Order: sequence, then C-alpha cells, then structure tokens
Amino acid sequence: MSHLKPYWVAQALEKDLGDPFDPSSALSFKRIIEIDESEEFPQEEIDWLYNWKLQHYYIPAELGGEFTSFEEFLAFVRVLARRDQTIGIAMTTLFWSFITWIGGSDAQKQALSQRVKNENGTLSLGYSEREHGSDLVGGSLTATKVPGGYLLNGEKWPINRATRSDFIYIIAKSDPQGGAKCLTLFMVDKRELNRDHYYNLPKILTHGIRASDMSGIGFNNCFVPDSMRIQNEGDGLEYALKGFQITRTFCAAFSLGAGDTALRTTLNFALKRTLYNKTVIDLPQPRKTLVDAFLDLLISDCETIPAARGFHIIPEQFSVWASVVKYFVPVQIETMINNVYVVLGSRFYFREEHDYGIFQKVLRDNSVISMFDGSTVVNLHALILQLRPLTKYRSRRTAATMAALSDRLESIFSLEKAVPKLQPEKLDLFGRGVDDPLQGLEIALDRLSGLKEAGEVDGQVIAHLSELSLIILEELDLHDHQISHSKFEFGHDQSPELFEIAKKYCTLHAATCCLHIWLYNRTVLGDFFAQGEWLVLSLHRLLRTLRPLPYTISDRYVESVAQELLKLHKEAKLFSIVPFQLAQSQIPKDKSYANSEFQLHN
Amino acid sequence: MQTQSSSSTIEETKIALNPTEALQDWLVAQLSTQLSLDASTIKVSEPLTRYGLDSIDAVTLVGDLEEWLDLELPDTLFWDHPSIAQASAYLVENFEVENAIASLATETKVTAPAITEPSTEKKGWGNLLGRFK
Repeated sequence: MSHLKPYWVAQALEKDLGDPFDPSSALSFKRIIEIDESEEFPQEEIDWLYNWKLQHYYIPAELGGEFTSFEEFLAFVRVLARRDQTIGIAMTTLFWSFITWIGGSDAQKQALSQRVKNENGTLSLGYSEREHGSDLVGGSLTATKVPGGYLLNGEKWPINRATRSDFIYIIAKSDPQGGAKCLTLFMVDKRELNRDHYYNLPKILTHGIRASDMSGIGFNNCFVPDSMRIQNEGDGLEYALKGFQITRTFCAAFSLGAGDTALRTTLNFALKRTLYNKTVIDLPQPRKTLVDAFLDLLISDCETIPAARGFHIIPEQFSVWASVVKYFVPVQIETMINNVYVVLGSRFYFREEHDYGIFQKVLRDNSVISMFDGSTVVNLHALILQLRPLTKYRSRRTAATMAALSDRLESIFSLEKAVPKLQPEKLDLFGRGVDDPLQGLEIALDRLSGLKEAGEVDGQVIAHLSELSLIILEELDLHDHQISHSKFEFGHDQSPELFEIAKKYCTLHAATCCLHIWLYNRTVLGDFFAQGEWLVLSLHRLLRTLRPLPYTISDRYVESVAQELLKLHKEAKLFSIVPFQLAQSQIPKDKSYANSEFQLHN
Repeated sequence: MQTQSSSSTIEETKIALNPTEALQDWLVAQLSTQLSLDASTIKVSEPLTRYGLDSIDAVTLVGDLEEWLDLELPDTLFWDHPSIAQASAYLVENFEVENAIASLATETKVTAPAITEPSTEKKGWGNLLGRFK
C-alpha cells in the first residue's frame, strides 16, 4: 500500500478488478476488445463498478458520499482508464454532478446524491449542438418560460450517454436576444418528463470508444419544472464554465490511464521480442524511446497531481490551471503513444494477437480526449485571454506576495499534507493574473540553491537542475517581455502566433511543476524519485522544445530511468511518481516472440 | 502579433469628469483599442456584444477595469450590465468609484520585467528572491 492515503481507493479498486491481462479479470483486455468489436454499451461492466459502490466516490462526503479529494479521484479514474477509456468515460460522466455540487440547491443536491447512490443514477451533459460545436451562446435549443417551468425545444448532439442516462444537464437559450446571460442550465431528470415530448438520436459510429452511447437528445415542447433549473435564469454560462474547470482538469486522468497501458503493452513486447540476437529493449533506440515515454508520463503526473490538489487550495486560479492541464496533458500523451508504436512494429496496427490488440484500441480511444470537453484550441484560446493579466501580475509581485505564495506552494505540492475541504463557491471565471506554480519559480530556484549548499543531492544533478531551471526563468521572462510589448485584442481572431505562445507557457508551467513536486517531496517518494536524474531528463525533454539543447544530457541518467521503468513493469506498479501496486496475476506467459529470456539490465 | 506603436492613452485619466463619465470614457477607449474600432462609433447605450465583445472577453474586461480602479469587481459585471452606460451606473452606485478614480494619480504604469541576463558563469542565479521588495 502506498503510504499516501489518496491512493488507497485506487489500489483497492485495482485489486478487486484484477489484472487486465488475465482474461478472467473483471475488466480484462480480452473482454474490453470484445466489447469494442461489438460496439455495444458495456452495461455489465458498469454494473460491476456500481456494485463496487464506486459511484459514492463522485458524491461529496457532506452529501452522504465518499468524495473528499480530487487527488484520490484522479487516482481511481486512472485505474479505470488504464483498462478501458470507454468504460472509464462512461462511468465518469458522473463527474458532471459537480455542476450540482457547485451550483445546485440543497434539494437538488440531496435528490441527485440519493439517486446516484441508491438507484445507480447516471448522468450526461447536453451542451453541444450539431450546428454550433463549442459556441455555447450561439446554441439553438430554447427554453421558453411558462407557468411553473419551461418548454424545451431543440436538439443536443453529439452527447455521450445521451440515451443511457437518468439525468442530463441541458444548457438552453432562455433569452432569444443572446448575450452572456441568455443561457439557463437545467438538471433534467428524464424520469419526470413526458415521454412523448423528447426523443433520442441514433448512436453515432465513432473511430474510438466505439462501445460508447454516443448519441443525442431532442425536445419537442417538452415541459421541465422550475425545480430542475440550476441557479437562476440566465446563469447557465457561468455554471457551465465553472463546471468545465473541474471536468477539463480531470480529462487528464483518462489520458494518464491510456498512456500507462500503451507503454505497458509495448514493454511486454519489447522484453520478449528478439531481433539481431538482442531483445528489443536492449537495442539503444527503442530503449531510449521507452524511457522518453516514461518521462512523458512522469511530466504529465507532475502537472496533473498538483492541479488535483490545487483545487482544494487555490480554486480561484483554475480558469488558468484547468486550461493548461487540458491542453498539455492530453497532447503530451497522444504524442507519447504515437512515439512508442514504432517499437511495437506491425503489432500496433493489429486488432488481435499481441495483448489482444489493446494498443490499437488505446490509440483510437485516446485521441478523443484532447478534443472533447473543450478542444485544444478552445483551451489555448481561454489561456490567451489571460496571458496579459498573468504577465502584469508576475511583474508586480512583492516580497509579501512571494511569502504567501510560498506557503500555498507547500500545501499544493507536498503530497504528504492532507488537502482542505473543497470550496467550489470560490471558483472564478477569471484568474486575475495569478498562477502560483509559474509565479513561484524563483522560490524553486531559491530552494535548489539551498540544496546545493546542503550537499544532500548529487552535485552533478544539482548543477544540471540549476542550469535547466535558469532556462525556464529566462524563457518565462522573455515570454513576459513579449506579452507586455504586444497589442492585445479581444475576440476569436487571435493570431496563430499567440496559440504558439500559449503552448510555450504550458511547457514552462509543466517544467516548473516538475521542479516543485521534486523539491517538496524529495524525501518521501522513494530513492529513484529523490535522486532527481529523472527530473534532469524531464526538464531537458521539455526545454528542448523551446530552444536548441544537446540531444544527450547523460547516458547514465537514461539508464537509471530505464532500470526504474523495467522494475515498475516487472513488479506491476503504475508508471507514475506515485507508483502504487497494480493488480497482479499468475497468468501463463504469452508465447514469446522468439527464444529470448525476460531480463533486466544490471 | 502586432507591436504596440505608441504608449496607451487609456491611463491618461480625465479626473475632471464626474465618475460616471470617467468610467464611460475609459471603457470606450479600452474597447476601441482592443477591438480596433473608432471610438466615435461606440455608443454607451449599446450592448457590448454589438461590438464583437464575446462573453469571455467581457470577463477579461472586468480584469482590466479592476486593475485600473484597484477594486475587486464581480466577474459577471458586463454579463449582468451589458452596456457601458448600465455597467458605469451600477459601479457608481455600488462601489467607491469616485475615490478610486481620485487616487489614480499615484497609479504606476506596467513596465516589462527585466530580462534575466543569461549567466555565463554558474553563479549569479542564487538569491533570486532578493528581486522582490
């Protein structure tokens, strides 16, 4: 068991689900592939999860559920997603309940909690429309006020679980004049509707997550009572955007789960396959490719885990942090999966054979993550609008600001510290220029300097870290210089260059998060973590995308990371900075791809 | 991305005006700069969306206004009060706008942060917190 409590639920779920490589386990890869081929909704598997009472972990403790921390939430969603993104996403549509936990009345909260816990209630989110995509204010589904409620007219499409859900959040235009207050949000309990006044749209055939209930819903003068309205008429956009801050951040959990499986199944192959009298893993190029993939997972972890914790400490900053995570992590992991498939060779393309063909499924499924719930472009655009305030705030920091920031960084990044209770009423639409991780970079540099003097860490590692961290600072200062000397304009015609600048901001953000998480947890996450060689390589990997740096920083560090990767694979532990135990089984060894022996480098 | 051709005129407050007029003038100037519009075409009675300011831009504009006045304002100010006239009237009624504008004289302009000198020697990067006063 990890000594960190937020990982206990995930570990218990792992254990009960069993090893997915074992065909007899609850969500085995064999079964997952069969489901995908059938394209039928995995109801039995979802029932298994409800019987396990996983739904309780989406409901806040004060409402009778088990949710206490987003760090815990992130860990168990990874456990689902590493088996199957279709099921992980279908189950986790329950995270839309946070709209009600944030903005619902006491009666709405109680009703939803009761239904989800005791009647296996399920949710979906009806925002997008065929003609309008991400443009919520441009939507056509209308809500017309009538005594006691509203009449809904129009369609929502494409909606995951639109057909197979008990509740659907519907955002509707209540003011035909338009504007930011023209939308009203409803938590529609389908059980209460007149069946003749709504209809489901047919299942859409998709490239990945093929067994999902990807469909839609239409309303025809459908009456919904006032009691289903979230907040007041006109408040729809505000609560939709606040809900997105939560759900966008946790889309990263789906990516992280998929990334783990992509790397694990590739390693299964690379350790067995013999070419030119060597196992693939012993050939330098594939070995480095797999090490880089592992680093991508560690980097993404360093961005996502503190974000999950940060919700409990700095919710008011999430209009920025959620956009950074939703852009950075899914894209980093998409790239990582694309990088490792060359190691699998032709098997990456097979829908059978190696590990039941799980790799091709992960490749297809995972590509939806960067698109849904606010695409890459939507998130970068949201960040672009805040770049100017971020730069201004950073230029005005004082000694007092830095002292307060330092305390917050410690709470956010120290994994041994329990997070305070979530205060969703503190979510803001606009972050007012504050971004603790990056604005605390100088604190990290200061701590590095202290470590250098203390002599606890290898001198060479500290020297590399110092040099690389200084590059982050230089690049961040250059970024601020560029932003403060540019002309800002509102609107959706932002220059393509600004999107690239926003991407760079995300890279610097991720690099700084890596640094913070190491500095605050150096002595609590094991020897490999403490040595910091992975951190040197991670910073180098990120910063090489911003400026020319030598290809190799240290072959010895690469080998240390390779050894850790092989160790985690052999011991069935998560590829993570918190490498908790995954389910293990004594399944018979798959036929080898030559006569090689399983071997670890020493 | 374009480079700013001249320093902004927005900071040059017309303190002689009454608070409502000062707010309105500032908002017109801000919009004309950031939407590339001729200020004379902006009517204070029209909804801001008419000029292409979308809902998220309107939240960003609250940030600019907060910074100018050094007051904390509701995120949804321009959603709830969608024209310059409405927003200005609401602000004057509910916030200490007059005092805020009066104290603008002491406001300093944003300056670009100093670019860190790339250190050729390995020292010189320590004690960065000494930057902050």
